Amino acid sequence: MSAGSAERTCCVWCPDWPVVAWRQADDALIDRPVVVLEPAAGAPVVRAASIEARAEGVRAGLRRREAESRCPGLVAVDVDPLLEARAFEAVARAVESITPRLVLDRPGRCAFPTRGPARYFGGDEEVATQIMSAVETIGVADVRVGIADGAFPALLAARGPGPGATWVVPPGESAEFLASWPVGVLRLAGDTGPGSGVGSGVEESPDAAGALADLLVRLGMPTLGAFAALSESAVTGRFGRTGARAHRLARGLDEHPPALTRPPPDLTETAELDPPAQRLDVTAFAAKAMADRFSAALADRGLACTRVVVEAETEHGERLSRCWRHDGALDAPALAERVRWQLEGWFAAPPSRRSCARPRAAQDDAAFEESYEPSTAGIIMLRLVPDCVVPATGRQLGFWGGDPAAADRAARALARVQGLLGPGAVTTPVLQGGRSHDERVRWVPWGEPREPARPDRDARSGIDGDPAAGDAPTWPGRVPDPAPARVYEPPRPAELLDAQGRPVTVTGRGECPAPPAHLRSDVLPDGGGTIAAWAGPWPEDLRWWDRLTRRRRARWQILTDTGVAALVVLESGRAALEAVYD
Amino acid sequence: MAQRVRPTVLAAERVVPVSGMLEGLLPGGGLQRGSVTALDGPPGRGVTSLALHLIAATTAAGEWAAFIDLDGSVGGLAAAEAGAALDRTAVVRGVPPDRWAAVTASLVDGLTMVVAEVPSRCRASDARRLTARVRERDAVLVVTGAWPVEAALTLRAMGGAVTGAVGGEVDGGWSGLTPEGGLLEQRCLCVAIEHRGATRTVALAG
Repeated sequence: MSAGSAERTCCVWCPDWPVVAWRQADDALIDRPVVVLEPAAGAPVVRAASIEARAEGVRAGLRRREAESRCPGLVAVDVDPLLEARAFEAVARAVESITPRLVLDRPGRCAFPTRGPARYFGGDEEVATQIMSAVETIGVADVRVGIADGAFPALLAARGPGPGATWVVPPGESAEFLASWPVGVLRLAGDTGPGSGVGSGVEESPDAAGALADLLVRLGMPTLGAFAALSESAVTGRFGRTGARAHRLARGLDEHPPALTRPPPDLTETAELDPPAQRLDVTAFAAKAMADRFSAALADRGLACTRVVVEAETEHGERLSRCWRHDGALDAPALAERVRWQLEGWFAAPPSRRSCARPRAAQDDAAFEESYEPSTAGIIMLRLVPDCVVPATGRQLGFWGGDPAAADRAARALARVQGLLGPGAVTTPVLQGGRSHDERVRWVPWGEPREPARPDRDARSGIDGDPAAGDAPTWPGRVPDPAPARVYEPPRPAELLDAQGRPVTVTGRGECPAPPAHLRSDVLPDGGGTIAAWAGPWPEDLRWWDRLTRRRRARWQILTDTGVAALVVLESGRAALEAVYD
Repeated sequence: MAQRVRPTVLAAERVVPVSGMLEGLLPGGGLQRGSVTALDGPPGRGVTSLALHLIAATTAAGEWAAFIDLDGSVGGLAAAEAGAALDRTAVVRGVPPDRWAAVTASLVDGLTMVVAEVPSRCRASDARRLTARVRERDAVLVVTGAWPVEAALTLRAMGGAVTGAVGGEVDGGWSGLTPEGGLLEQRCLCVAIEHRGATRTVALAG
């Protein structure tokens, strides 16, 4: 192997793994069009679609509603990384029966160097066939195998053939193989699975690779071959680190220059669990703290880890280990997530799959069984071993950053609470465009990018020549300021009555024949009271062009005689308390 | 050695300064680190606004704050209007009552200010343990609701309409919205400050 060239690698890829995992868990989903949704800014989008749904034109990245309109009868399920990881553990074991040096990318994709197995089985084609049959034995129908020089060409080779086929790129021909692929595939190298937005913050996100690919197409380089023909220094000068990394990939080299030194052994992080941990959450919690220490120790030396081995030891003396890889570098949240996925696989491996996964060749059955009975005993030790480290290209702290130690402490405390209650329990508000007070705030789980789902102002209006127009709010009919300190979502039941004690109504023209006189609600002190002053009704007719989602509402700002101000909304004849100016 | 030569910290230096409309009104000029402040008052009379103003004052000084929101209804827009730095403000929701003490203790460990709504059956032993934790970590805990033990400072929001306040009679409450028309504009909020047995009432222009 000459310096700079890539190690010969086999990539095993199960397309649409989220769908496969869900079908293994729930038989009712088999033979039906299924999509797996992941949360995105605003509405959930399709992460993976089954082949039936794809035939109807459903693609990853579509919004749920658009997917449903293209494919009637679509079943939508939510993304579940733990379920995917658990289901993929069976595949990992099947592949591991053939080669020990397995590296997991994410649930649904793994890779291993083929030098050893190819010599044992007598050629790359033989290895591919063995892998294929081993995985198909455990009941995974659609598996693709690609072998090439380097992880990225192997990944593309796995995508090349149709279902159930293999593609072996001859040694030394990776660059020619890559030349004809469109530059858009650079995006795949950064796609590291569900929740990648949380963990991949250290280097660059898949979006950066995607933006680069778009730019290259506009510059007249539609294929990787055209991009690879540029000089390396020119690419680095023009596109920076993202470009240099993509250029290495396009030329068929490994993403990082090969590491010349082994990682120092004292970076290994070990935690002993006493009493032995029988449950996933206990172990995952310990792993989270370990991941933080591990990352801090690496950062002290100016290193970042791209491959890590997760090892566990059980009470019965069994040792389990698995290697995870990440494009870019593993930071602490990404690392903790992978350890959690792995523990989930070990703790909850279904016995039926385990017996199916028994290897038919190469290894001793008894040894295999012995090494894979982890769920019989608690885990007494966890260890994180850096397998491949690269110099950290660094993360610049904010210039006005304040006290970085305080920020670290706060982040740790909030992460601990997220560990106790779930990630969605700790949120932070982001202001965005909208009319009512609940629409104007998006609650983002802590640690996720703070991005509004709707713009607050129209970005285009500033360009049209009138500079003042850039400041104009583009949400006419907003509920006026000040903002209420309590916003109920959904609104709490309330009664809005006129002087005769009848419910207040609003006509189709937005007029109120009898003005409101009393407001009653359990949320208010003393159950409400007489109305001293009011403003309204403010009618609101939303999406009148769409029969199904149309909403008609009217709002009042109300001040009771006890001095409590509230916002009351009337919809389809029922009044509700939307907010209290507490 | 480092312990021994550490410079003396005066009590006045261990204060989270409070600016904005509460400036100069709190004893010591701000919230004492390592102490518990109780917020009190009937619902709808400005307790939440007062809590948001305390968060705003803390985050404006570059510190981090969290709000434990039991019924999931605190308004993010109101926090922004009060002046809170939203990227340093976390809102914790969906806290089951049996884990409330653990969650609050974890937050006190890492954040400068924690505003916590207390569940109705908070045990006095939990409250005492939290008080000790707050003192040890030099944090500020602000509790609203039924706090079963004594707090160092109590702020009681009383809406408008209080007579005998400092500076004469206050005809507080909301202004702008009248029976003749108009919209809610601003509020004059009366707050009773109880500290070491003494109570005084001040009016805050919002």
